[in-house]
Amino acid sequence: MKRPSTLTAYAFLYLVFLYLPVLFLPLFSFNSGTIVAFPIKGWTLDWYRKLGEQDTLIQALWNSLGVGTVVAILSTAMGLFAARAFVRYRFRGQRAAEGLVMLPLVIPGIIVASSMLVLFLFLGLKPSLLTVVLGHTFLALPFSVSILKSAFDDFDASLEEASYDLGVGVFETFRRVTLPVVSPGIIASMLVTFTVSFDEFVLAFFLSGNQPTLPVYIWSQIRFPAKLPNVLALGSILLLTSVLLLVLAEYFRRRSSASEVR
Amino acid sequence: MTDRNIIELRGVEKRYGTFLAASGIDLDLKEGEFFSLLGPSGCGKTTVLRMIAGFQEPTAGTVLIDGQDMEGVPANNRPTNMVFQSYAIFPHLNVGNNVAYGLRGKAPKGEIDQRVAEALDMVELGGLQDRGASELSGGQRQRVALARALIMRPKVLLLDEPLSALDKKLREQMQFEMRNLQQSLGITFVMVTHDQYEAMTMSDRIGVMFNGRLKQVDTPTTLYARPCDQQVASFIGEMNILPAQLLGEIGNMLSIDAAAFGRIEIERNPNVATSSKDMNIGIRPEQLEIAAEKPEDYPSTVQGTVSNAAFYGENIHYHIRVAGAEKPISVSVPNYFHTVDFKRGDAVWLGLQGASVIDLGTDTK
Amino acid sequence: MIFRSEASRGYTLSAPATAYVGFLVAAPLLILIAYSFWTQTYVTLDKTPTLKNYSDALADPLVRHLMLRSIWIAGAVTVVTVALAYPIAYFIAMKARKKTIWLLLITIPFWSSYLLRVFAWKLILGFNGVMNSALMMLGLIDEPLDFLLYNEFAVVLTLAHAWAPFAILPIYVSLQKIDPSLLEAATDLGNSPLQRFMRVTLPLTIPGIIAACLIIFIPTVGDYVTPALVGGSDGKMIANLIQVQFGAANNWPLGATLSLIAMLSVGFVAIVFVITATQLGRRIR
Repeated sequence: MKRPSTLTAYAFLYLVFLYLPVLFLPLFSFNSGTIVAFPIKGWTLDWYRKLGEQDTLIQALWNSLGVGTVVAILSTAMGLFAARAFVRYRFRGQRAAEGLVMLPLVIPGIIVASSMLVLFLFLGLKPSLLTVVLGHTFLALPFSVSILKSAFDDFDASLEEASYDLGVGVFETFRRVTLPVVSPGIIASMLVTFTVSFDEFVLAFFLSGNQPTLPVYIWSQIRFPAKLPNVLALGSILLLTSVLLLVLAEYFRRRSSASEVR
Repeated sequence: MTDRNIIELRGVEKRYGTFLAASGIDLDLKEGEFFSLLGPSGCGKTTVLRMIAGFQEPTAGTVLIDGQDMEGVPANNRPTNMVFQSYAIFPHLNVGNNVAYGLRGKAPKGEIDQRVAEALDMVELGGLQDRGASELSGGQRQRVALARALIMRPKVLLLDEPLSALDKKLREQMQFEMRNLQQSLGITFVMVTHDQYEAMTMSDRIGVMFNGRLKQVDTPTTLYARPCDQQVASFIGEMNILPAQLLGEIGNMLSIDAAAFGRIEIERNPNVATSSKDMNIGIRPEQLEIAAEKPEDYPSTVQGTVSNAAFYGENIHYHIRVAGAEKPISVSVPNYFHTVDFKRGDAVWLGLQGASVIDLGTDTK
Repeated sequence: MIFRSEASRGYTLSAPATAYVGFLVAAPLLILIAYSFWTQTYVTLDKTPTLKNYSDALADPLVRHLMLRSIWIAGAVTVVTVALAYPIAYFIAMKARKKTIWLLLITIPFWSSYLLRVFAWKLILGFNGVMNSALMMLGLIDEPLDFLLYNEFAVVLTLAHAWAPFAILPIYVSLQKIDPSLLEAATDLGNSPLQRFMRVTLPLTIPGIIAACLIIFIPTVGDYVTPALVGGSDGKMIANLIQVQFGAANNWPLGATLSLIAMLSVGFVAIVFVITATQLGRRIR
């Protein structure tokens, strides 16, 4: 066996750099002291217990769950059609259209947030959960389009042609052949877009008005040192949820590449 | 070609875990020789080439280039250059910079420009220095790869399936061009190929490999006429292989009973061993006479029925069912003014001469 | 078949997504442009077209200072992130056995909330924070270090962490595309591993490097959370000023003007960067 190279050592150090900061949140969420510093005073689950007693937090959680669900459905539905168009058909301006859909990824957040706030007020929409949904759907679309594009990429076009050849119509074919084959991709897209919305802060900060989502609630708590342990406990739960959702999404995305039609 | 050895492989072996990609390779290549390593895919021929180039280290044995042991010498310090199967043309460089690649920093700019121009002239791409890599056709890419390697003035040029990416017409043209180039430069060429015709038309000598072993090293004509076993015999060209009985031997002549073809005198093949009465013989399809009437002047004749006929343009191929032979006998006839034109089911005669029969010895494979 | 041609089917199916994104990009932009020519006088909006916002903004040393600092910080973040990420991308593409596991490991932390990750850095770098207390506990320092948090260093470090996968993935993809025989050809033509890297690998990954730089640089110039949490007064950026205009200062026209100036500056720097990088890549022979 070869001696591990400097490059391999560097790779492992880099992983430590990536994970260590994130892992401090859960670590200190079990700390009985209120100051986030070593040495750890003692271990406790109190901070987690106290989370359930806070009404504004529970309300913010429901807000985030609702927004995330609607965003997941909206962006995945639009992404599904767009991805199919981009993979299966060739048309003029296709590259431009694909580029346009990816644009939300590279516009600075503050500019998206401020300009959408201006637009929605111009259109007479008061900042609320509805405007957050509209904004988050915009941000989530590139993710659903790229996930579903790879789902359609792995999907053999001749399966649909075989279905037409056997006398089945366009909609029936979509329902009986296309949908089942790309459904893992759809699930992956829903999970990812939900997570994007659930974790997003800047847009929600600008657009949520007096209906805070969970990250906006956390932001309001960060300023008070006394609330810190609460934020840590809440943050740890969110971290765990996001990672679980993403691992699940990855599992479905893999399945979409390897799936067979039954 | 001189008698000096430019490459010597001594007991070279390459092992991956339990899999032997190449083993027991002993080979001497002469200076100025065009040598081909021929074999089916996965036989280890590319492994041998890459061990000469230095991309893989042998797990046993030694590689000597120009008398020097190459152990521990990395590929960038070996006096060999390679033409890759994919040609490996650098996509970010134009033709001139691709060809000049290996000389940058090693020669003054004026000399590099001059040598690039000469190298491109040599491969008939003169004046295309500024052409982009992506604008080249398959044949042009092959020529750039050749020029890029030859400009380094290597002691040995290694070619990994250099023509496999080209279409048939271009491939045949390049075969002649590369052969001419090699002869005028006098550089040793070692080519890996799975195409027996390519190997035969271009090479001074051919090494045939199967399952990691070098089976036979000979000139194309010897390989064709005196293969060392059935595997080589049927890989080089088409071959009817039939069982036969050894009746007796006088000098280097064997007297055999060739089943359907009866008793016949053939020449002993020094490359095979005959250890019992049971032996095999090989007959090339083009060495058989086919006629509607019983042919004259043939010591052995047999009657059969056409079971299949295929028109190849320059040749017509027949499959003839003969009583006493398990498989149909393949016969190939030049399409010579349509003197022969048999249909499926026609009764025909086959004629055979002793000189056309190849002794394949006792070979259980 | 319902739709006559492939093209019309393509247009119909992609229309909702493209129209949605197109509308939400174009409409706010137009309104922002309109706002930037109006004036805010206390609570009323004066819609007489004027260039005053632009002249005010450009003349204001604070705006210039924050804009330049945003570009400088974003540039530093981009350079640091890409430089740290390149060896990882190289390792995964060229050396690692389990590529997918590594890619997954790299991307998982990215899926935790951005806000929480920045917050974690604040806790780590703080005066009474994780890093100082750990160093003191180990006896490496006697006094807490005060230069960790609330400065440009903290912003750069936090963002280099936050953007890691965005830098690794494009570079990984461009490394993955390199035909291994090109590398062998370079070696065969006499290059040492280092020469080979400089003359073949690096030039062929320039598109990936450019993509990584743009993906990091553009959003970073307008980043709000990181400077607000770990930047202190020395680390504030243009986004924080824009937020103030839309929030406490309630001067939307100036906020719109600043947004547009920020976008134009980012676009200009990005174009200059792409052209320079491409030209440099062509120089390598």
